[in-house]
Amino acid sequence: MGPSAISWRRSRLLLIGGVFVGLVILSAIFADVIAPYSPYDIDVADKLQPPSRAHWLGTDEFGRDLLSRTIHAARISVKVATVAVSVGLVGGALIGITAAYFGGPIDLVLMRFMELLFSFPAILLAIVLMAALGTSLLNAMAAIGIIFIPGFSRLARAATQEVLRQQYIEAAHTIGMSDRRILTREILPNVITPLLVEAMAAFAYAVLLESSLSFLGLGAQPPEPSWGNMLNSGRGFMDQAPWLGIVPGIAMFIGVLGFNLLGDGLRDFFDPRLREAQ
Amino acid sequence: MWRLIATRLAAFVPTILATSLVLFITVNVVPGSAAKAALGIDATAQAIARFEHEQGLDRPLHVQYLDWLGKGLRGDFGTSFQNHLAVGPELVMRLPVTLELATLAFLIANVIAVPLGALAAYHHQRRADRIISVIATILGAVPSFWLATVLILILALTVKVLPAGGYAPFTEDPLKNLSLLIMPALSLGVVSSALLLRIMRAKLIEVLSSDYIHTAMAKGAAPNVVIRRHALRNALITFLTVGAVEFGWLFGGVVIIEDIFLLPGVGQLVLVGIINRDYPVLLASALTVTVVVLAANMLVDLIAAILDPRQVHVRSRA
Repeated sequence: MGPSAISWRRSRLLLIGGVFVGLVILSAIFADVIAPYSPYDIDVADKLQPPSRAHWLGTDEFGRDLLSRTIHAARISVKVATVAVSVGLVGGALIGITAAYFGGPIDLVLMRFMELLFSFPAILLAIVLMAALGTSLLNAMAAIGIIFIPGFSRLARAATQEVLRQQYIEAAHTIGMSDRRILTREILPNVITPLLVEAMAAFAYAVLLESSLSFLGLGAQPPEPSWGNMLNSGRGFMDQAPWLGIVPGIAMFIGVLGFNLLGDGLRDFFDPRLREAQ
Repeated sequence: MWRLIATRLAAFVPTILATSLVLFITVNVVPGSAAKAALGIDATAQAIARFEHEQGLDRPLHVQYLDWLGKGLRGDFGTSFQNHLAVGPELVMRLPVTLELATLAFLIANVIAVPLGALAAYHHQRRADRIISVIATILGAVPSFWLATVLILILALTVKVLPAGGYAPFTEDPLKNLSLLIMPALSLGVVSSALLLRIMRAKLIEVLSSDYIHTAMAKGAAPNVVIRRHALRNALITFLTVGAVEFGWLFGGVVIIEDIFLLPGVGQLVLVGIINRDYPVLLASALTVTVVVLAANMLVDLIAAILDPRQVHVRSRA
């Protein structure tokens, strides 16, 4: 298999990732238009109906249309992932760049603390944070965001150290540029690319964590549909309505796989060294 | 080597102390929240004050922490707000369940990852490699709790070969114990195998392209001997390091899986702790999970260092 075949395969994976992510994001944005029913409309007479022409994916234990709820749940996933990854990205960039730029004790203290946060299992840290913040969707976003900060800060620190070795930074210091100006004008633009690439990969993990928290009843609260809480409530009725245990899972799978593939593809694209190593 | 072990152990203690401090502060950072959680939101100010005095929650935070830590070191993690039972013995009872689940899951992950990773690396950029890589990508995107749900749907509800949940100690009924743990372990292990497989493959590809492998091949050694004797052994060190991280991830995942399969482990206790707002329970169980994960990491780090004499040399000089 030649190099062109490899890159064709890679771009094909990128394409599949793009299609899946597009599907999820479009569902999130146009949920009101696409979904055939309201995700909240209860119709007890129609409960636990198998997939049919009226309800393509069947109905749940309250007779709500499963397809409509699955589409609307994409909104929660995308919203939580976007906020959480942004929190992680901004927090991590601030800490990582500060640590690398000022070095010394500031670097030591900040990065030791990041290492410490990193040593907790992610889902456990999220649960403990939810205990402090209280269980709600907003707090789930904050908790997941905090989990991402150490990873982004490491990356930002490494990238900043790389930039700091360049001659133009030395030149900027020599002409008397202020720290703030150097940080915003010279360093930030040069470290932002790897952070954004990492952000795409973090999206997949954020979708997974949100679903996990909602599954445990700590994220999105019913009747608001989230893939996690749909799966959790549906699992009690699986012997009568197996689709309740399958449909939300496939949606999660598509979301996570899509963001994973897109993240991998972008990483390869922006980091040719990685491309060769593989 | 003993020096290496000593330095690692010396670094381990402050890490544990620091994680316990982070957990303690996180849970207690909002004043009065523990009392409100235990007494309900309708509790009067008087009731809250009385509760805080009884539990020692009206003392300064650092005094509370030192008290909690001191007792914790002696195995006393206080009593549950809910059922007023001692938390320490509860943890001792539950830890073996979680350890068994995590170990089984880790074994399953390795049994999938090592041979498939080796096969993919050996057939690098050929059909087998591509198929295995696609499988790894797919497995990596399956949420473990969804796999658990699907397994229950198929094996417990449709084919009815395995029980859907519950627990029996291994010492009492080994067969029943395994039949109850196999689905939870599969749910965690299969998903975890994805990352391990990728690492195994990447590392083996790197090792297989190195000079000493080419030399061994040129001398006419059989490919499977080269893989087993030379390549796998060298790839193992990186693999172990990632394996430890993965074990930590897996141990975090037990919270959900134990809940689904009604396993009375530490993970379930974490969940009970947060749902009931039972802070002594939450703190102690979360700390236990964290300590086990950190200990596993340290252990693997040591094994990897011992396996790779270069590391011992470099690190003991540093």
